[in-house]
Amino acid sequence: MNASPNEQPVTATGIARWRFTLVMAVFGCLLGAVLVRLVILHTVEQPFLFEQGEKRTVREEVQPAMRGMITDRFGKPLAVSTPVVNLWLNPQQVNIQQLPIIAQDLGLSARELVRKTERAANQGRSFVYLQRQVEPELAHQVLDRRVAGVYGDDDFRRFYPAAEVTAHTVGIVNIDGKGQEGLELAYDGYLQGADGSRQVVKDLYGNVVKQLKVNSVAQPGNNLTLTLDLRLQYLAYRELKAAVAQHHARSGAAVLLDAHSGDVLAMVGQPSYNPNNRSGLRPEHMRNRAIADLIEPGSTMKPFTVAAALQSGRFRPETEVDTSPGYVRVKNKTIRDHRNYGVLDVTGIITKSSNVGVTYLSREMGAEAIWSFLTKAGIGQATALGFPGEAVGSLPYPEQMDALRLATVSYGYGLAVSPLQLAHAYTAFTQRGCIRPLRLIMEDQPTEHCDPVMSAQVARQVLDMLETVTSDFGTGRRARVAGYRVGGKTGTAHVVGQQGYEDSEYTAVFAGVAPISDPDLVLVVVISEPQGKEYYGGEVAAPVFSRIMEQALRLRQIAPDDGSVPSLQMAAGGVQ
Amino acid sequence: MGTRLLTGLLWLAVLVSALVQIGVVNWQRDLIQVWQREDGRRAQLQEENSRLLLERSTLTAHGRIDQLARKKLNMTEPDKVQVLSQ
Repeated sequence: MNASPNEQPVTATGIARWRFTLVMAVFGCLLGAVLVRLVILHTVEQPFLFEQGEKRTVREEVQPAMRGMITDRFGKPLAVSTPVVNLWLNPQQVNIQQLPIIAQDLGLSARELVRKTERAANQGRSFVYLQRQVEPELAHQVLDRRVAGVYGDDDFRRFYPAAEVTAHTVGIVNIDGKGQEGLELAYDGYLQGADGSRQVVKDLYGNVVKQLKVNSVAQPGNNLTLTLDLRLQYLAYRELKAAVAQHHARSGAAVLLDAHSGDVLAMVGQPSYNPNNRSGLRPEHMRNRAIADLIEPGSTMKPFTVAAALQSGRFRPETEVDTSPGYVRVKNKTIRDHRNYGVLDVTGIITKSSNVGVTYLSREMGAEAIWSFLTKAGIGQATALGFPGEAVGSLPYPEQMDALRLATVSYGYGLAVSPLQLAHAYTAFTQRGCIRPLRLIMEDQPTEHCDPVMSAQVARQVLDMLETVTSDFGTGRRARVAGYRVGGKTGTAHVVGQQGYEDSEYTAVFAGVAPISDPDLVLVVVISEPQGKEYYGGEVAAPVFSRIMEQALRLRQIAPDDGSVPSLQMAAGGVQ
Repeated sequence: MGTRLLTGLLWLAVLVSALVQIGVVNWQRDLIQVWQREDGRRAQLQEENSRLLLERSTLTAHGRIDQLARKKLNMTEPDKVQVLSQ
């Protein structure tokens, strides 16, 4: 071919050169655009894209920490966490056809589950609990079916092996493992531990593809050791429950303390509840009667009035007091004894539980002396166990006490204590006249310091007086324990209702100590509103005291100290 | 001559550190795997431990022991105090 001068240049194939250049330029531009986009993606938009990518694949997984165990003083478990699995499903991913198989595994209603899932899917939700707190074995059986959209998260469930026997003291956690009541609540932070977390890469279906890093390893919570002795706790609970049922009482409580150290060995209440089954929990059953309920201690306060009198040095156990004619008028009220006891010595006032006698003693002592003595014994003072709902009680100040108030305080009316406080106050007699703070947690170091309340001699004298209460002449005969010398004080108080004291509702109390020769245990039994003919402390509470004390002394292997029991001498003589 | 040697050494160092890095990453993965396996074992043992603990406390529950002692073994409390002396 020949190129004519006025024709445009063509390429070898005869295409106009400008067209070729144009096409190449367009291609070049496109390539350039792709390059620019690539550069922009890799530089300007890189952080954003990287973040978005991570968001879709990298997950923080929380590893729940195991909650610490609560045990009794010998390591018997009272609250244990055990691993379980929370099964949940994503309604958006799940295949409805597969649900009946899972429902069958878990024992759920298939129709119910399908309906629930469909409703959730329609609402656009992507999380529905299938079942919470499933045993690991069963959960893995379900998960091994590899049904899309069904997942399991590790969790812990709390079990209470001693159930209702320790329910009030140990307390309860909610389904999320947070303390709700009792020590579970008070020591929640201590028991809890720290959850761990790790970064993992997950695929679309939520399966872990690889683990990137571990942010923190789960730290299990601390164990809590209580001073309770589960054996004593169990028998105290059994006897209290039987007594509350027998007398159709509204409630009851018993507190057993180590007489030497002030350790709480048993603390039980009625009615109780089963913390392993949360359905049917009723608030009035969850009340810790031994700590949170306030009672008027009634005559169980008399030993303190007498001890104050002895401590003043103006009275001796043999000092005679004339209680005739069996009543005394203070301001506008008449204070009565059961009958006219005539002339009693100070010991006799305790033996017979003479209201007139202690009224006389308290008048001689004055409000200031009585108040300071009771305050030193911990009446109206917080027991400071750190227990939620711990009652402080009340004791009127000396300036609030007129003659009548003083008289009523001397025999245990017009002041309020919890059963625990009452038992604590009685340890003043068993610890040679001084008093130590109560201890419920073994981790708290026992305090060497013992606050003096009275002299050791007075404490001994009062103990001997308490023993006369269980003698043939006393009000607490039914508190006796064969083989042991037992002392205590009965108390019966009218229950306070809407219009002052109720005429026919009583609180029966027995506070006592055993064995008298070297006290080992202090026990307070309170039965509130017993129905029926028996309502005195000596009739209702004393037998419970006797039964608990008998078994507790045997369990603690305390040697019998009563040599006057015929069978004891017989047995001892027979072997020789 | 000197610069050549230096460059050569640096190249070598780069190569060695690259190889070491590969090795370390691999080692780390292995360790994570081991850790994960052990962690799984720990969880399993923990589960077993708490199960056994609960089982034991159920079996040794005081009510149960009390019943067994009375019914199966015909044990009773001594009804009178007995002290045996040598």
